[in-house]
Amino acid sequence: MKSTLLGRAVLTFLVGLLVSLVSLQAAEILPPGQRPRPLGVHALSGARVVVKPGTVLEGATILIRNGRIQAVLHKGQVGIPADARVWDLKGKTIYAGFIDPYLSLGKDKAKPVSNRWTVPIDARAGVSFTGVPTTKADMGRKGPGYEIAGVRPEHRVAAEFSPDPKELTALRALGFTAANVIPTEGIYRGTGTLALLGEGNPNQLILRPDTVQHLAFSSTTKRAEGYPNSLMGVIAVIRQTVFDAQHYYTMQAWHKAHPADARPEYNPSLEALRPVLAKAGKQQIIIESGSVLMEHRAQVLATELGFNPIFVATGQEWRRPNLMKQIKAPFIVPVVFPAIPELPEEVDWNQVSLDQLRGWDWAPEIPALLRRDHAIALTTHGLSDRKAFRKNIARAIERGLKEDEALAALTTEPARLMGATQLIGTLEKGKLANLTIVNGDSWFNPENEIDSVWIEGRHFAHDNPKPEKPDNDKKDGQDEKKKEEPKPTPRLAKSPDAFRGPLLSPKNVIIQNATIWTCGPEGVITNGSIRIANGRIVEVGRNLNPPKSFDGIVIGAKGMHVTPGLIDCHSHSMILGGVNEGTLPSTAMVRIGDVVNSETGNIYRQLAGGLTTANLLHGSANPIGGQNQVIKLRHGAPPDALKFTNAPPGIKFALGENVKQSNWGDEKTTRFPQTRMGVKTFFNNRFTAARQYLADQLREDVAPMRRNLELEAIGEIINGKRLIHCHSYRQDEMLIFMRTMERFGVKIGTLQHVLEGYKIADEIAAHGAGASAFSDWWAYKFEVYDAIPYAGSLMHARGAVVSFNSDSSDLARRMNLEAAKAVKYGGTSEEDALKFVTLNPAKQLHIDQWVGSLEVGKDADFVLWSGHPLSTQTLCEQTWIEGYQYYDRSKAHARAKALVAERTALLAKAQKKDSKENASVAARSAFFLRALEKAHALNNCYECRKVKP
Amino acid sequence: MPEGQTVNKLILILLVASTLPVQAQEQPQTVLYKAAAIHTADKGTIKNAQMLVTDGIIQAIGQNIRPTRQTKVVDLGKLQLYPGLIAATTSLGLTEINAVRATQDTTEVGEFTPDVEAWVSVNPDSELIPVARANGFTHALVAPMGGTITGTSGLIKLAGWGVEDMTVKTHAALHLWWPVMTLNTRPKETLRDPDKYKSPKEQTKARDKKLKTIDEFFNEAEAYARARKAGDPNFKKVPAWEGMLPALSGKQPIMVHANEVRQIKTAVAWAKRHKFKIVLAASRDAWQVADLLAKEKVPVIFDNVFTLPQRDTDPHDIHFRAAGILHKAGVKVAHSEAMGSWGASRVRNIVYAAAKSIAHGLPREAALRSLTLHPAQMLDVADRLGSLTQNKEATFIAVDGDIFDIRANVKHMWIAGKKISLQSRHTRLYEKYKNRPKLNK
Repeated sequence: MKSTLLGRAVLTFLVGLLVSLVSLQAAEILPPGQRPRPLGVHALSGARVVVKPGTVLEGATILIRNGRIQAVLHKGQVGIPADARVWDLKGKTIYAGFIDPYLSLGKDKAKPVSNRWTVPIDARAGVSFTGVPTTKADMGRKGPGYEIAGVRPEHRVAAEFSPDPKELTALRALGFTAANVIPTEGIYRGTGTLALLGEGNPNQLILRPDTVQHLAFSSTTKRAEGYPNSLMGVIAVIRQTVFDAQHYYTMQAWHKAHPADARPEYNPSLEALRPVLAKAGKQQIIIESGSVLMEHRAQVLATELGFNPIFVATGQEWRRPNLMKQIKAPFIVPVVFPAIPELPEEVDWNQVSLDQLRGWDWAPEIPALLRRDHAIALTTHGLSDRKAFRKNIARAIERGLKEDEALAALTTEPARLMGATQLIGTLEKGKLANLTIVNGDSWFNPENEIDSVWIEGRHFAHDNPKPEKPDNDKKDGQDEKKKEEPKPTPRLAKSPDAFRGPLLSPKNVIIQNATIWTCGPEGVITNGSIRIANGRIVEVGRNLNPPKSFDGIVIGAKGMHVTPGLIDCHSHSMILGGVNEGTLPSTAMVRIGDVVNSETGNIYRQLAGGLTTANLLHGSANPIGGQNQVIKLRHGAPPDALKFTNAPPGIKFALGENVKQSNWGDEKTTRFPQTRMGVKTFFNNRFTAARQYLADQLREDVAPMRRNLELEAIGEIINGKRLIHCHSYRQDEMLIFMRTMERFGVKIGTLQHVLEGYKIADEIAAHGAGASAFSDWWAYKFEVYDAIPYAGSLMHARGAVVSFNSDSSDLARRMNLEAAKAVKYGGTSEEDALKFVTLNPAKQLHIDQWVGSLEVGKDADFVLWSGHPLSTQTLCEQTWIEGYQYYDRSKAHARAKALVAERTALLAKAQKKDSKENASVAARSAFFLRALEKAHALNNCYECRKVKP
Repeated sequence: MPEGQTVNKLILILLVASTLPVQAQEQPQTVLYKAAAIHTADKGTIKNAQMLVTDGIIQAIGQNIRPTRQTKVVDLGKLQLYPGLIAATTSLGLTEINAVRATQDTTEVGEFTPDVEAWVSVNPDSELIPVARANGFTHALVAPMGGTITGTSGLIKLAGWGVEDMTVKTHAALHLWWPVMTLNTRPKETLRDPDKYKSPKEQTKARDKKLKTIDEFFNEAEAYARARKAGDPNFKKVPAWEGMLPALSGKQPIMVHANEVRQIKTAVAWAKRHKFKIVLAASRDAWQVADLLAKEKVPVIFDNVFTLPQRDTDPHDIHFRAAGILHKAGVKVAHSEAMGSWGASRVRNIVYAAAKSIAHGLPREAALRSLTLHPAQMLDVADRLGSLTQNKEATFIAVDGDIFDIRANVKHMWIAGKKISLQSRHTRLYEKYKNRPKLNK
């Protein structure tokens, strides 16, 4: 709202700016020898004038005086002043000058936020962590600021704005007259500046020195090896920074009241966030998150932190259109469309995936898709070949974006986003004389050449009106010109939603005549029945028949077996942007819950093996890793709807070779800890710190406390509200870990992998930790040389609660067969063995109240098997979660066939397109850019690959 | 005599015997083994059957074999007999602990090293060997890794005092790791080092050059073989070229390691052109060209049953079904684990790759052969190994159930008639800690 204080301040500033401009332009007499300036009075007559989207005046005249639009005269209306230079613009169309809301300039031009997160290899920390000898004081840059190099909101583009004239010429050649020039580096990147794209003194070009703050889900700094280098780490930094800023402001106020107490530090980074966090008249913040799921996460985060956001689209929104609807903010939309690649041989096309073809086919539709529910502004961002801009917008219009919407997205919308509607965006009286003039009747026909642009009343003729050529192959481009443009074919690509979501969603289900492995007190029931209503089990017994008026499904399951849905207590299969934030020895502040990947094929594949619940864990690169997220495999649901909301929170810990960096290469010798002694010391240190933190929170005689997300999470462990899942191998390290936790009154949730747990089974049982084991992995590291497949049975026999986990996107598809290994090795009974992958992991995750067994009142998560669940010859026939069917083997092959058919059709469409299509090399290689959600490698085994360099 | 007594006595004998890694004492010359079933792998399954063995060689198998007075009778009761299992491609014995470099002897340096011999470096006391044995594996092909032509493999039996007495067949196959043929399509700007970017065209060129290098190497080897045959007294032997001779003469199969369909097609065409006898190893995409492989009579060692589907249009269970598809087309299939350290620690689970394939369409008999007769045939030792048949070695295992059922356990093993221990690091640690006194609380 303009009535806010800030809004008024902006207005006052703009008025001031206006006065100075008028005086400059009217009175300036340049020294002799310099080319004199033209007079500032013009009449542009006879053109088609698009005053604003939807308002067109044919044959109108625009009067310009001193850089402003003095008037727009209708056709035939008199009033051209005598002192005006008259320009005959018949046959041309005039628009308000275009505005790019997200323009990056210079040699360090911002690339779109990276979708590649590497596995962390270096642990040099930027954060001042006690005991990390490699901590650098300057965080990769000199001077005061935030402790993490990527947090630089104090950076101002306005302070160093000096554009390369050539770049501006290229932008004007597209019709641009103004832009929000953005900062390019870091997470909190600083404020952009709204500038004219004319020539001359930067002081005069800048319209609004500080427009909005910029935030990117990116770790790219010049020293990228520090914290954070995972997506979840970036999100943790975004949060912590806000809490630090709020504390900083509080401390300044507090210091005024307590001048004798400790003097607060000066922190320009936190100071710079004041407008963003202001209670009223908030400065907006543009968030570039780099992926469709992260766009939604950014919205959630913006709500949590009180931001007023604008989002940058990725072109991947087709994957989750419904999720986009939940976003209540404008979008800045790049028009980067992938082009069909040039592949040397026919057989190379086998490498092209359905997902890539879908991305290609959907891309031009994204602007229209986003426009349906959002205000949008278009940008050249990410377009390495800016010349493709007009052509791509024309394609977006073919695919449903209205021309008026596109025009608004180039003029009025960016003007509004940048708070400059008083100055630019339309051709109304009083606005700056920023015009975009094109030959013919529309800019949206890329064939129509740009005539010129006017920027604040100054004329910039388009000096290079030759036909556009592709960079890569000029000859082909010329041939192409003569050909008739092929008509756009309708989209063939389907939505991913066509292949996911519940297959059946009945209100009631009755299963009859099955062998039911309840995994509860009822044991195994032959010829059993289960009745399900509204997603819950309401009856387990024999001979249950549907009542007369039964609204539901009856499954005759003669010969089949029913078990609870399988539960995997250790999974990394559905995580986005890095499994480890391995940079610091404690990253208790990062959350897997921020980066759940609902788009991975692992969900369907694991459902097809009977899995219904997975414990998504942070990796084991550091003693205190990130917070875990328990999910249900509700295929098709977006990330937050996958979450097992009743599951208590947990956190990943780790011991042994991984955390002491034994297999990270010979240079990794300086992070604490490097020994198992140090690991124990480290835990003692952090838990003591967290205990202190909790104690300080209760004190009233101290300065306001900084909210510390790391210690907060560890404090929750001490308070019994967060479960530890600790990667552990050797008996000695497990023993001292249990003893250390006992000192802090903490009972461990699970020991994960727990390979030598069989040597201390009594101690584990006495402590009460769950044992979540591999069935039979061994010998891949020195610390697993004593791992034996009998471990599960041995620990079970001594009273520990034992589960078998996967830690692998392959094994998670056949957890029932992992359970069979407990029968083979050590003779655990079949019923108890099945509990290793049902009830026991449920107990370990403290979710056995809802899942893990087939008992009345529990969630109807179950699997129908063709035979005995521990037999290799048994197939998973159906998988159900909360009374909905998510997998049915009889439908699986039709699904696979439909996917093949879709790919075949898309491939035909792609190959029919002239392969010499007028596209740049960049657009062609963009075809192969994978969305973050699809960038995960198809790694079968996490733990075994990890030890390799 | 009641059957139970015999079994009890037998178990006692076996328990005593099994404390030694290889039983030192002399076996009686002729033994008759009685079991609930004998799965011959070449002539089906015979229930309530007997197998007569003399000096480690099978004399007869049937349901009505009567022992003479000298014949020692071993009644195995309800146990079922299977041929000893053969792991078709492994690094067993060449590796101990994946993360400890000093324990690695799997991978050599250099593109063309045909004179490298893998079996010579098998550590007979590797703890991984008894672990593989415990689930029924009596033999393993130990193959070298490294560059393109990595050397020759040897077939070892998984029990013995040293490399020499364990080696069953030297120079079993020449190993050719087919060059990667897929394009790296990652856009230049996403590469860690964008200067190393190669366009698809450049990559195609580099790939063609590499394929040509293989052809060239074999041509040069053939020239060497001809020159050697010419019998010039001054002819100088070159070890590397010598390593190529058995494969060139057709005495030794060339094992081509390739996963991607394009590699497979190219390799098959290459072999046809040169008239080489090849065996395909790894073979992830072989199911896509099952008919071609059947037509060209290329046997397949498949180690990708549990590999995740590679394309987003592949059915989720495609690799579970792959062996069945190949078999149906007429391809001879063996199952194995991936080469390298990780796979070596998991040889025991190859049985379950075959088991999973049965559940998804591979006939049970073919699955048994995929672990026995087929690898024996591929390595040209089927005259001695691979099935329970007259005149073959009495190399077999006794299982307390269906070998393809995870819940079953291998109870006894004989290699050439000698009883072999099934103890391992795992059973030793199990026994030790099972007997740890209960903690006093």
